[in-house]
Amino acid sequence: MNAADYGWLVLLTPLIGLAFNIAVGPSVSRRVVAWVASLSILAGFVLSLLAFIDLLSRDDSQRALVSTGWHWLSAGSFQVDASILVDPLSTVMLLVITGIGFLIHAYSVGYMHGDTEEKRFFAYLNLFVFSMLLLVLAGNFVFLLAGWGLVGLSSYLLIGFWWQRPSAVAAAKKAFVMNAIGDVGMTLGIFVIWNHLHTVDYTTAFALAPGSIGSGSSTANWIALLLLVGAVAKSAQLPLQTWLPDAMEGPTPVSALIHAATMVTAGVYLVARMWPFYSLAPDVADLVAIIGVATLTIAGLIALVQTDIKRVIAYSTMSQIGYMFCGVGIGAYSAGMFHLVTHAFFKALLFLGAGVVIHALHDEQDMRKMGGMGRYLPYTTGLMWIGALSLVGVPPFSGFFSKDQILSDALARGDWVGYTVWGLGLAGAFVTALYTFRLMLLVFHGEPSEYAREQSEAHAGHGEGPSTMLWTIGVLAVGATFAGFLEIPQVTHGMRNFLEPTIPSTIEATGNQDLGTSALAVSLALIGLFCAHVLWGRRSRTTRRIAEATAPLERVLQEKFGFDRLYDWAFYRPASALARGGARLWEQRAVVGSMDAVSNAGSWTSRLLSTAQSGLVRVYALAIAVGIAALAAWFMTGAS
Amino acid sequence: MSPGIGSWITLSSALFCIGLVGVMLRRNPIVILLSLEIMLNAGNLLLVAGSRYVGGNDGHVLALTVMGVAAAEVVVGLGLVVALARRGAPLDVDELRSLHG
Amino acid sequence: MQIVVFYVAGALAIGSALAVVVQRNPFLAALSLILHLASLAALYLVLQGDFVAVAQLLVYAGAVMIMFLFVIAYLGDRADLDLRRGGLGAGAAFIAGLAIFIESVIAVSDSNSSFHAPAVVADSFGSPATIGKLFLTDHLLAFEAISLVLLVGAIAGVVLGAGELLPSRSRAEPAEREPKGERYDLRREFLRREEEAEQESEVGT
Repeated sequence: MNAADYGWLVLLTPLIGLAFNIAVGPSVSRRVVAWVASLSILAGFVLSLLAFIDLLSRDDSQRALVSTGWHWLSAGSFQVDASILVDPLSTVMLLVITGIGFLIHAYSVGYMHGDTEEKRFFAYLNLFVFSMLLLVLAGNFVFLLAGWGLVGLSSYLLIGFWWQRPSAVAAAKKAFVMNAIGDVGMTLGIFVIWNHLHTVDYTTAFALAPGSIGSGSSTANWIALLLLVGAVAKSAQLPLQTWLPDAMEGPTPVSALIHAATMVTAGVYLVARMWPFYSLAPDVADLVAIIGVATLTIAGLIALVQTDIKRVIAYSTMSQIGYMFCGVGIGAYSAGMFHLVTHAFFKALLFLGAGVVIHALHDEQDMRKMGGMGRYLPYTTGLMWIGALSLVGVPPFSGFFSKDQILSDALARGDWVGYTVWGLGLAGAFVTALYTFRLMLLVFHGEPSEYAREQSEAHAGHGEGPSTMLWTIGVLAVGATFAGFLEIPQVTHGMRNFLEPTIPSTIEATGNQDLGTSALAVSLALIGLFCAHVLWGRRSRTTRRIAEATAPLERVLQEKFGFDRLYDWAFYRPASALARGGARLWEQRAVVGSMDAVSNAGSWTSRLLSTAQSGLVRVYALAIAVGIAALAAWFMTGAS
Repeated sequence: MSPGIGSWITLSSALFCIGLVGVMLRRNPIVILLSLEIMLNAGNLLLVAGSRYVGGNDGHVLALTVMGVAAAEVVVGLGLVVALARRGAPLDVDELRSLHG
Repeated sequence: MQIVVFYVAGALAIGSALAVVVQRNPFLAALSLILHLASLAALYLVLQGDFVAVAQLLVYAGAVMIMFLFVIAYLGDRADLDLRRGGLGAGAAFIAGLAIFIESVIAVSDSNSSFHAPAVVADSFGSPATIGKLFLTDHLLAFEAISLVLLVGAIAGVVLGAGELLPSRSRAEPAEREPKGERYDLRREFLRREEEAEQESEVGT
């Protein structure tokens, strides 16, 4: 069994869970369904590990395995096989998806306990894992697109899971529509690829690309740009980022799995996978980095004024993915992927820990009603601090290593893009520290609010939450702590070496650059901690004065820089006006009207004809006479 | 000296058309029957004239047959009129339109 | 001579026909028809149709018109309602009648008829003997058929005129009648009869 075979099996495992859910689910208990779903993902993780080990046992040149299942579509010269590509990049993603996926499934057993629709939840979760696996394992563009779309569908289903809430349904629709924009972009990109290279298979396309498409040519730029549209939509970067905060309407495990660890990182995966095209379109690669930088700044600033705990973490995710986009945009692919891995750990940890708090406070998500949870949830608080420190980038936690890797690689790149990324990335680190410590201080420290006090004292003695919730975040915390050691600068190069054969990184920072960047970043983080303490730790006159001074800025941030309003005016209103007008004019008049006209014509004709049946004998006689006259005239005029 | 068959045909058709107009215009069923008689007699006239000009008495035979049929038809028609009158229905063909579709 | 009679009788026939059609009073219309029939008999005489002329006078002007007069007498005032309504129908009727007349005139004038003079006929042309012989030999079917038609006409006269002598359903009590508006439904009738049979058997011997 080689890695490719394991790949097919991994793809199969969530389907087994789903099939069980659909076929046997209605007749078994919710608990059984939940555990079967989770264990199927665990099986997938084990198989991914086996694939990983198999890949390690091969030497570098043998690490890209393509396995073709069957010939899927044959239409003239358009040939598509059902093929998967198992190589270091997809194996890394496999491990992340199935590993974090399993942990989140197990967490959900506890979190969703008591929800009447639990089985549906696990069905959707399994569907999502399958879609994501299909996305990363796909060996050709068509299956990539299939996985892409399915992931969007699963996200829609899961965001709108509590469909009785109109806000959840609206958020689900928003996410789906914006992802659809990305899908369109990506499909167009695939069209251009097909048009020029006449293949949709990865290996063939990547081999042909440098020859057929000139570097910097408009074709290369178009391909890279259109694929970027898809990545931007899926990863919630500017300008298609507005759906991610609203997606927090879904249950917390969903936010952790889809909107932190896996789905939103699909964009980063895409850019890394398509590196041959991006290396041929350096301007677009620069654009990737610029988008990343813009997003990380804006998202970080908006996170400063959010009051919903999940939204803070959501904006944080947006910001961190901005870092990853910077990484893959400047050509530091292994740094970007490394940050993806560590981010999956600590962001999932943060979300799930927030879930513990929300669960303890009976689904209350407003941070202003929290406070002082540290004394009621000590275990969770400790783990959340691990996550927070990792996010901010404090050694020895993993975020430190991965984020600073990106920043020092940016410095090593040297041109205006590199310096912009380096500068704004460091500023972003400061902002990250600010909002993260704000979160921690507001939720876990200080005086508990009335509500928090009541709820927690009502629960006292029951433990912090269901046991599955607690051990899963423990495992994540371990990962968040130690995953960084994969890539200690100048010491270990686990990630880089693993990825190098298939995804070569173009930049390597020197030791001094690493040290200097890290020093700056850590000091900025500590300054941020101090500022956060000043602003939100103790309520004093200074804080109030500062708050008043920054009130207009705060309003701008609370409007999320006006993106939602802009999109509402620019797109939603014209579209809905068009739809309403269309419904009134076209559908009402033309479509329904034409059918009415057909039926009216029928009845009008029959009414017309029925006037001949007047019942008047005289009229009948007249008709006969007229007929005779007409016939006689016809015969007399020589007609045959 | 007799007029050609054309005159007879003309006379006959004139009478026929007068009867036809009478059938189409009058509302009293009895007068309609009278107009119908005019039409039948016009036909009889043509038959007799034809047999005179062509030779042979077959036209006379047919004319007598038509006369008998006309008599029977008048019996039926007048019977209908009497039955209608007995039931109090208005003697107006414009009112008798239960076959109206 | 014949032409004179033709024209006079012809004019009389047309005039009296017009009178029938135009006349408001049905009694006067019937009288005009009698005049019409008489003028037609004169025309038949011109055509040497002796028997037909006499039969016309006896049968038509005698029997049929008497029938008409009896009925008109019976009806009395009720026969007198005739309001003429003009309009589109009247115009169309006139035009249709006129059109047919004109067409026949055209047809006549266009044809090169070889019948400009009557055929040479024997003296027995139109005599009862000749016609009787034809009825009983060549046209026997017509003879029999006409007698049958007259029989049917007689029966019809009796039935239509004396309808009350026959047992009529409408004499039944209202309760016994089928309720109004319900059509006779074979299936329903069958079920009803079944029910009745059941009830009878249930009630007992």
